[in-house]
Amino acid sequence: MLLDGKNALITGSARGIGNAMLHVFAREGANIWAFARTKSEAFEQECESISKQYGVWIKPLYCELTDRESVKLAFKQLMADKQPLDILINNAGAMGQDKMFQMTSEDEMRSIFDINFFAVIELSRLATRLMARNKAGAVVNIASIAGIDGDSRLDYSAAKAAVIAATRKMARELVSVGIRVNALAPGLTDTDLVAGLSEKVEQEQLSKILLKRKAKPEEIANVAAFLASDMASYVVGQVWRADGGILS
Amino acid sequence: MTNLEKYVNAFCESLEVAEAEVASLVYGESDAWDSVGHMSLVAALEDAFDVMVDMDDIIDLSSFEKGKEILRKYDVEI
Repeated sequence: MLLDGKNALITGSARGIGNAMLHVFAREGANIWAFARTKSEAFEQECESISKQYGVWIKPLYCELTDRESVKLAFKQLMADKQPLDILINNAGAMGQDKMFQMTSEDEMRSIFDINFFAVIELSRLATRLMARNKAGAVVNIASIAGIDGDSRLDYSAAKAAVIAATRKMARELVSVGIRVNALAPGLTDTDLVAGLSEKVEQEQLSKILLKRKAKPEEIANVAAFLASDMASYVVGQVWRADGGILS
Repeated sequence: MTNLEKYVNAFCESLEVAEAEVASLVYGESDAWDSVGHMSLVAALEDAFDVMVDMDDIIDLSSFEKGKEILRKYDVEI
């Protein structure tokens, strides 16, 4: 198993790509602190069921990632477990809006940056300090091809570009304490978030994909598991595209 | 181990410096205390005193003496 005995923190694990990661990482032998925004019986049961299926522990922890105090509280619960943290997956995010440059308000931009960028920075600071104690760890920031290629969403693509820049900065600094930092840039993926995309944007993206389909969330989760694993020990500071083949 | 011993130990282990050097250390003025050393130091202090240091205090942590003052906020007397 790729992640046997590793302990991972995954944000946004109640749905979409994060939820697929919950399954894939457990299947690969990882114990998981499953960060989610809202407590629900269904999610608790899902965690318990996956945990039993794969013989790992999964602990749901709830917090609002844009609220520093809420994040600290959840992280304190994680620290109280006195387990090493081996992997951080900064997955949670919001989609932004397909709007003209002139029509995207600063408030909308800030709101997307809060969750897609500043929350990543805050959690990475906490997590990498914990990882630094063991001189080992892997961080995978879920970026997007929109952060590389740009798209019709100014707020989203700019925030994801910022995540990519932060990934490189973190990678440079943290490699000396044994922490590898990489970003994963998914293309169009079949999740609730993408369901909110305009038909125009979706068709535009599909037309460029060689596979002519969206990614399944588990296909993205598989790449994240690889990047988080020791199999990727020589991969540092990179942005891995998982886009179904977009060549131009 | 006293709090002072734990405090000194955190500096020595995270910044890889001798005990005799720690009292004069200033962030950014020593090769050992760069940004990576700083992160390791904060991690070591958090570990030693079971606290979680706020971002503003991490930025303020600029010397051996300043660290004592900051830890006081977290009810740790050195």
